[in-house]
Amino acid sequence: MNKLQSIDALDRFRSQLLREHKAHNGKPTLVVCAGTGGQASGSNDILRIIKKLILERNLQDKIGLRVTGCQGFCEKDPFIVVEPGGHLYPKLKMKDVERVIAAALKGTVDEELIYKELWDRKSYHAQQDIPFFKKQKRTILGDNQYIDPIRIADYIAHGGYAALGKVLRRNDPEWIISEVIASGLRGRGGAGFSTGKKWEFARAARNGLGQKYLIANCDEGDPGAYMDRSILEGNPHAIVEGMLIAGIAIGATQAFIYVRSEYPLAIKHSLIALRQATDLGLLGKNILNTDIEFEIEVVRGAGAFVCGEETALIKSISGYVGEPRQRPPYPVHRGLWGRPTCINNVETLANIPVIITRGAKEFAKVGVPRNTGTKIFSLVGKIKNTGLVEVPMGITINTIVNDIGGGPVGSARIKAVQTGGPSGGCIPASMFDLPIDYDSLVAAGSIMGSGGMIVMDENTCMVDVAKYFMKFLKDESCGKCYTCRKGTQRLYEILEDIADGKGTEAHVALLEELATVVKDTSMCGLGQSAPNPVLSTLRYFKHEYARHIHDKRCDAFVCKGIVGAPCASACPVGTEAWRYIAHIQRGEYQEAYNVIREANPFPSVCARVCHHPCEDRCKSGTQGGDPVAIRALKRFVTDRIDPRSYKPVHVHDEFAASHKIAIIGSGPAGLSAAHYLSLKGYKSTVYESDTRPGGMLYSAIPSYRLPRATIDKEIESITDENISVRCSMTLGRDMTIDTLFEEGYSAVFLAFGAHKSLRLNLRGEDLPGVYPSIQFLKAFNQRGENLSGERVGIVGGGNSAVDAARVALRQPGVKNVTLFYRRTREEMPAFEEEIEAAIQEGVHLETLVAPTGILQEEGRLSGVEFINNQLGDFDESGRRRPVPVPGTQHIVPLDTLVVAISEGSDTDCVSVAGVNRIEVDPRNGTIKADSDTLVTNRPGVFAGGDVVTGPNTVIDAVAAGKKAAVMIDRYLRKEPLKQPSALRLPRHYVEPTNGHSPLQTKRVPLPRIDMDKRKHEFVEVERTLTEEDAKVEASRCLRCDLDFTHPPEPEPAIEEEREQLV
Amino acid sequence: MIKIIMNGVPVSVEEGTTLLEAAQFIGFPIPTLCHLEGLSPYGACRLCVVEIGEGSKSKLVSSCTYPAEEGLRVRTSSTRVVKARKMILELLLASCPQSKVIQDLASKYQVRQQRFRQEHETCILCGLCSRMCSEQMMAHAIGFRGRGDHRSLGTPFDIKSEKCRLCGGCIYVCPACQLRCTYTQPEMAICGGCANLSPPCIEKKPFDDMMCYMSPCVACEIKKD
Repeated sequence: MNKLQSIDALDRFRSQLLREHKAHNGKPTLVVCAGTGGQASGSNDILRIIKKLILERNLQDKIGLRVTGCQGFCEKDPFIVVEPGGHLYPKLKMKDVERVIAAALKGTVDEELIYKELWDRKSYHAQQDIPFFKKQKRTILGDNQYIDPIRIADYIAHGGYAALGKVLRRNDPEWIISEVIASGLRGRGGAGFSTGKKWEFARAARNGLGQKYLIANCDEGDPGAYMDRSILEGNPHAIVEGMLIAGIAIGATQAFIYVRSEYPLAIKHSLIALRQATDLGLLGKNILNTDIEFEIEVVRGAGAFVCGEETALIKSISGYVGEPRQRPPYPVHRGLWGRPTCINNVETLANIPVIITRGAKEFAKVGVPRNTGTKIFSLVGKIKNTGLVEVPMGITINTIVNDIGGGPVGSARIKAVQTGGPSGGCIPASMFDLPIDYDSLVAAGSIMGSGGMIVMDENTCMVDVAKYFMKFLKDESCGKCYTCRKGTQRLYEILEDIADGKGTEAHVALLEELATVVKDTSMCGLGQSAPNPVLSTLRYFKHEYARHIHDKRCDAFVCKGIVGAPCASACPVGTEAWRYIAHIQRGEYQEAYNVIREANPFPSVCARVCHHPCEDRCKSGTQGGDPVAIRALKRFVTDRIDPRSYKPVHVHDEFAASHKIAIIGSGPAGLSAAHYLSLKGYKSTVYESDTRPGGMLYSAIPSYRLPRATIDKEIESITDENISVRCSMTLGRDMTIDTLFEEGYSAVFLAFGAHKSLRLNLRGEDLPGVYPSIQFLKAFNQRGENLSGERVGIVGGGNSAVDAARVALRQPGVKNVTLFYRRTREEMPAFEEEIEAAIQEGVHLETLVAPTGILQEEGRLSGVEFINNQLGDFDESGRRRPVPVPGTQHIVPLDTLVVAISEGSDTDCVSVAGVNRIEVDPRNGTIKADSDTLVTNRPGVFAGGDVVTGPNTVIDAVAAGKKAAVMIDRYLRKEPLKQPSALRLPRHYVEPTNGHSPLQTKRVPLPRIDMDKRKHEFVEVERTLTEEDAKVEASRCLRCDLDFTHPPEPEPAIEEEREQLV
Repeated sequence: MIKIIMNGVPVSVEEGTTLLEAAQFIGFPIPTLCHLEGLSPYGACRLCVVEIGEGSKSKLVSSCTYPAEEGLRVRTSSTRVVKARKMILELLLASCPQSKVIQDLASKYQVRQQRFRQEHETCILCGLCSRMCSEQMMAHAIGFRGRGDHRSLGTPFDIKSEKCRLCGGCIYVCPACQLRCTYTQPEMAICGGCANLSPPCIEKKPFDDMMCYMSPCVACEIKKD
């Protein structure tokens, strides 16, 4: 390249390049993102294939290839964008490249590979329509797509260095500064100081030492932030041009780009860019034949986060250890080697050519007052579209997270967003309407920072987040200030204690006090902002700290010192799944049964119907394989061990023996309460309004899931001489709470469940042929009545809906069964296994439909009118709201309609007006009870299970019954109901045997009976594992407990024996 | 001359005077640990913080390094400052409880307890020894190494120093080395008690015959009996 001899020569060069580009126009171009993220995802392979195919097939004149830096759509890397047309083909495999090229040559779109949104399965042919791009304003980042960073010609053809030309022609540095001030540009490094003002100070600074310096700060230290990297990698000339203009404005002739060593690609591309710019005469002496001189040198960081701070950065460039110093004096007055130094962030500098070219007024139109322009954020964490997004200031967090980011990944709800990196804070989901600008974020307790935005969901522990950032800061503190060094260490220590279950109430106060002092007394920004993550999580998520400290629980299952073995921690009754699985592997089935039975009086029942929260948290599963089939293993044990072999220990206690408790409801909650009260020595009477005990186990869960005999056997083994069950006794009709107290009961436990189906509230709901689901199920389960006509429809998506569907399918005369749900399949609350089984058995599933009318003929149901839904905006639950599509009403002829939308409780018996009424929730009738102590508003009356929570699971009801026994016992002994909790960590050591195969990531197949046997009989569908399969499955357990237990000390006697043998 | 207003009292000082010097001139007490007259100020211990500025822009700065500015309003014992000092002393006691200097400071500011895990470190990284060595003894033998958790003081790469003249100046100025003699275990305190604590920065051996710099040394007094 020859040196350009004038500004005019530069313009002519640009025109020439544009003419050359025009000549190639019409030819499709493949644009491949090869930034660091793109390369890590495999774009190098894609590029290799493209180049190979182009050469092999002589396509050089027919198709172009542009290799660019990071374009920000990192989640979909490696992708190709075909220009013109903007067809984006995401997540390509090497074998797909050929098809992309073929489509590009023909000018068509490959429908199978083109970008599609997953939730509405729509294809997007044009890049700018893709939701990720639509709401962005890619002033800076957008250029990356059109520029190959190692070709200065691309930059110039795209309008590069025109701003420099304008500035050189005008020859008025004061004008540059006034433009930058007028634009309102604020430093993008985090502090947000007015860039124009800083340049004004720098220009005015004269301290007799001559030389001024300009430094571009690319020491992006925040974990997760990579905006500056992408600009420097993808468009280094934008920085060079920005620096040139800055240098002219402030009067500096020497500049540095301080890049962290961890950015090798950025360093490489900067060096290439500097060389090419120098060759063209855009850097060096007499730039474009003017008397402007400017040199840029690249300096590499050495791995210290603190060197992002400007005074530490200056020290680092001068060859010393990066340590901040007190300001004033500010670097603009005394900086590098004592001379005036202006330090600007890379993103700030990238905005400068834009301001000069478009004019300050145009620039200031984007954004909001005092926060103009755009900002690039790195959107990472639990979000669908991870990547870099550039948005105008003032946009809400909601828009970024949901519209651009695509919402949560998986079913866990988003609960917070962390901005500003380790110096920032978190914003909870309730505040997502906050507009993003420097000032509003500070008011909310966070900061803009360099632009990191980490999305956190329900599986993120906020205490762990604070701990993580504190560890980072404690390692990165330069160590000079005592409070910063020791303060971050001690804050980390305290957070570690809390995360290990050793937290106390005093810790929270100490955290706040220490955090304030560290913030106040540290000399530099690192220390001053180090406590922000702690203070911010305390401000918005204090309840999580409280759970860790008081309840010794980590609800996100992250803090290992509290969780212990995740399976045991997740179980509402604390069943030590790891322990009985270890026994199974050793062939010790009786021991395994004892472990199960100790925690759960309904082992055989749960082995069939439990929703297994343990499996959801099993590390085998969360690490990418299949979770251990814990429930099936439990069934294996309970099927072969007689429940009578377990002899629970009863306490003989005079105090307890003198009391009797009344329990209303003989479901799992009521019977569990009776059982545990009996172990403590109390007598109880369980009143049941049905003719036999069992509650929902009997009336709602069909026998192909839970055989009647199993329920009976289990109840029989629980009932002992302290418990008497009286059936056909209904509260309100045969007795009331008052009469029970009069009879001498010391306490009452209400556990009569949620048996009242909620109504659709449509006309015709009481017609013959329309049944609430509980009524439909009870009719069959209790009395063997078949209520189904030929065509059965069920409205709902929960377990009772799916149960009703599978029951209907097995009834005689039924031709088809359809389940109608108003949201999508993924959002159905029923157990996944149940839905799959239902579909396998032939139930039709219609999603995104809602009933609007019930039709009748001759006084009976004849059909139902439905309307189609589409998914709209996100609502407060974090799910997309179903919105009816007008004009899509259609009628489905049906003979039977089962309404299974949810259940409430029939609590009129206790809530009717009166002095002693029990408070209920008016929306669904459930009883209001304290979730920790189960007390209602009436002393001595406790409530738990579905009657309080609404329809819930069997194991949660068992847990409520267990807790009720503890609470009633404390109440009667006049002890405080709320007492400090203890850590639940594995304690018993079970020696692992040989034959561990934790690398076996797939489950053994769970045996089920054939499809034809299923459909017309009510035989149990699931079968027991064989002994061999059970042992294989048990050996897949990762034994998370072994981190906490250790083998007992060897007996000394054996040692002596050994010595004797020798 | 620059006029500042300290605790409501106007005072004129020469250009380049730090707030600490101004306070000492008028007589307002400000505690220090890493400051020693004759050595350049460093600002590491943060004990000397004072509050400057007004309203939302008020902040704490280390008075030993902050130069006086015209019209500056300074408060040396505001609530914020006192809270900060007490917490800093708690942190010091939590790490280096055996130092007499630190104990006396804690006493003076009524800090009687510390709420952290007790450590027994022998260096608070105040940098006095390093500055003594560089600025007064012109030896430049020791300095800071590492960052954050791993910051320590010693010779480059822990290699035995050729520049060190064994003057003992570093031990003389070290606040952590100043053992509260005898205290609970008189038999452990021999004379040269500070050398008994193995100053981390230099080798101990040449100091076996060192003189005791503490006066009076209670241990010596007891031993006399």
